[in-house]
Amino acid sequence: MSRSLKQVAVLLVALLCLDLHSRVGSAPICAHGPSGCHVPSLADLFDRVIQHSARMHSLSNDLHSEFEQYFLPSKNHIGKIYRKCHTSSILTPNGKENAQKLAREELTEVILKLLMAWRDPLFQLHQSMAHQQDFNSFSSNKALEMGDMAHELRKGVEKVAERMRVLGMLGNSVTGLSVAEAMLPISDSGEAMSNYELLYCFRRDSNKVQNYLKILKCRIVPEHDC
Amino acid sequence: RFSRCDALIYTMVLNDCVSAPDKPRLTSCRSPEKETFTCWWEPGDDGGLPTTYALYYRLENSETVYECPDYRTAGENSCFFNKNDTSLWINYNITVVATNALGKNISDPVEVDVAYIVQPNTPENVTAVVVDDQGPFVRVSWEKPRTADTRSGWITLLYQLRVKQEKDKEWEEYDAGMQKYYNVFSLHPDKEFMVQVRCKPDHGFWSEWTQPTYVKMPDYIPRERSLWIIITIFSIFIILILTWTLNVKRNSVKLCLLPPVPGPKIKGFDKQLLKSGKSEEVFSSLVIQGFPPTIGYDDLLVEYLEVYDNEEQELVLDSKDLSEVCMKSKSLSDCDSGRGSCDSRTLLLEKCMEGREGSGSDQHQYSQHGETSCTSTESSECQGLEPGSPESSDGRVKTWPVVFSSPQPHHHYQVEAVKPVYHSVPEILNRSSPHAMPTNYHQLHHQDIPQQEGRFSKPACRHSQSYNQFNLDGLDTPAPGVSPSRSLEYVEVQRVNPENMLLLRPLSDPNREPEGSDYAGEDYSKVKEVTSNNILLLQRDTYHQCVDDYSQDLDSQAGQCTTQQPPHPCKPVIYQSNSGMPQEGMRVMGNGYVDSTVLMPSY
Repeated sequence: MSRSLKQVAVLLVALLCLDLHSRVGSAPICAHGPSGCHVPSLADLFDRVIQHSARMHSLSNDLHSEFEQYFLPSKNHIGKIYRKCHTSSILTPNGKENAQKLAREELTEVILKLLMAWRDPLFQLHQSMAHQQDFNSFSSNKALEMGDMAHELRKGVEKVAERMRVLGMLGNSVTGLSVAEAMLPISDSGEAMSNYELLYCFRRDSNKVQNYLKILKCRIVPEHDC
Repeated sequence: RFSRCDALIYTMVLNDCVSAPDKPRLTSCRSPEKETFTCWWEPGDDGGLPTTYALYYRLENSETVYECPDYRTAGENSCFFNKNDTSLWINYNITVVATNALGKNISDPVEVDVAYIVQPNTPENVTAVVVDDQGPFVRVSWEKPRTADTRSGWITLLYQLRVKQEKDKEWEEYDAGMQKYYNVFSLHPDKEFMVQVRCKPDHGFWSEWTQPTYVKMPDYIPRERSLWIIITIFSIFIILILTWTLNVKRNSVKLCLLPPVPGPKIKGFDKQLLKSGKSEEVFSSLVIQGFPPTIGYDDLLVEYLEVYDNEEQELVLDSKDLSEVCMKSKSLSDCDSGRGSCDSRTLLLEKCMEGREGSGSDQHQYSQHGETSCTSTESSECQGLEPGSPESSDGRVKTWPVVFSSPQPHHHYQVEAVKPVYHSVPEILNRSSPHAMPTNYHQLHHQDIPQQEGRFSKPACRHSQSYNQFNLDGLDTPAPGVSPSRSLEYVEVQRVNPENMLLLRPLSDPNREPEGSDYAGEDYSKVKEVTSNNILLLQRDTYHQCVDDYSQDLDSQAGQCTTQQPPHPCKPVIYQSNSGMPQEGMRVMGNGYVDSTVLMPSY
């Protein structure tokens, strides 16, 4: 009996050792210059942030559709007047030419502003969705994920901007990026926006972000998929 | 129409009821490239009067109403918004107003955000080409719709294509992602296919399918045929292997498929009795008196038993083989069957063994010899196996290997350890009682009868061989005279007596009594003796029985034959060579027979 126990113990130790050694090592991505690790190119960075923004937008689309389907009776809101989104104060190009007219720095700045402006409201959205009984956990999880994605995306875009500055693509006309302000989701009338309005506004803004990023990419690194 | 007349004015001019127009309805708004868009409406009933339609829109959070800038570009009942008038990410509140002389009607408003109503034009220049690289396939390629601006990244398009034959109902759909080509495999040869492509922006609606493009697959049957050839060859190969395997294992397969049929259980048949050897009692219970009718019995008789042995019988069998053979035959042959002919040599063997088993004692001794094979006429040769036969006191039994059948030369041999390879009539003689042999023989002779199973009559047992006694030491013991001279010859079944015994008589001399015949076949050689070195001494002239005059001097090459009636001297035809012989191969005898019994191992 003790012999078999010993064998089992030996086997376990062997397995553990094997496991330790066979751990998959991932190559760290160096943020600050090449020091022996794999450095993604600007094109790779752009691809990543664009994919990320696409996922974020599809999540917001899903949540918005759920809202419309289950909580609002009519599809076409007759006579409904939306309150302004809190991000309407941010000037964003509303067409292709306008977007192409903007300089890279300004475009990047717009993106970052938008993402920054949604940091807190998304958190609030998740909070209110989680507390309400109407939502199942799946929806509130989506909202949480959406918030995290927005946060990640912002970080990613900041990295891209940093890389561009390093590569000299961003001119010095703009003295650094102006600090994006965190904004409160307060509409003009001072009332807090409802969940639906938040979702509606965020869906639109995430679409904007995705489009702007694509334009930026094809302007800066036009090789792939442009 | 008349139902509407109640609130309406009847005009004299038109002689009909007229009314204000019905509410128009906005059917859809679409943007092909996310830079312009068009809205279409459906006019209601015009009320009998010429009606005009106007589209008005209002931007989100603004009260300013604008009218549609372009009613023509997009056709009838449409409004086209050009680039200047199109703003993304802003809700348009659009209404259509129908106006005629009698009134107007406003449609329900529609909220539109241009970013979400994108439906591109169809892809262009769809080409399908057959490529014959490693199996023909079709490479479909196309171009993006002209209006979509993917270069600047404003729009991202995903493509999809579908393929079918003209007659098929269902399309095969394939997703091509963002690439502008696709390879379609697994299309049937010698058939014509149609291909269509469509696209979609990452958030938006699918475009219409392109016009079908036709492509004809070439005929590549030869390639398929070679595949069939390979398959055929492979299956033939497998069949061959299976056949060969079956062939190799055919015995076990046969055993499996056709298991040996057990013998019939005859009512009244007592197996134990049979085993004990009292065969007559066994059979007596089965015998119905008066049946079979004995009248005309002779007609049923077999004329004579003809025995021959073929070359195979001359083979020296290993005693082991013999026992195997006997065992096999034992299992396969049916003791209850009427087969009594000694062409089945092994049959007698088993009978002998059975007879032996009854005795029980010294069974091992006999088993050493294996079974003695039955010889031809000597169907009653089993007598040698009787329990009553002399047994070696020291356990060694000498047997007389007899390669029996009439043509077979007699051979005697001397065995030290008894292990005759092959003998038809085993004669197990005991060296210790050589003198007793003749008497034993006689005794055997007579004793055989009751102990036989009754198939064969003892008296008919002819043993053309003279007895040899085996002197283990090879010396000095006077060989007992061969008692009755025995000769190999054909025997005729005389009759079958009621005890189911075959009474045999020699063919050559119908008046002959079974006993004492020394008639021998003319052309066959008899084995005179086997010397210590396992040499067979043959007699050339077998006309007369070569009574053994077993010279004690067994080394003598020329065995002397003393016959009782010696008109012809025996001439040994084999000369013994010296030692080292025993395991030699076949020896050619003088008369042309090859005797392979010398291959017997001497034990």
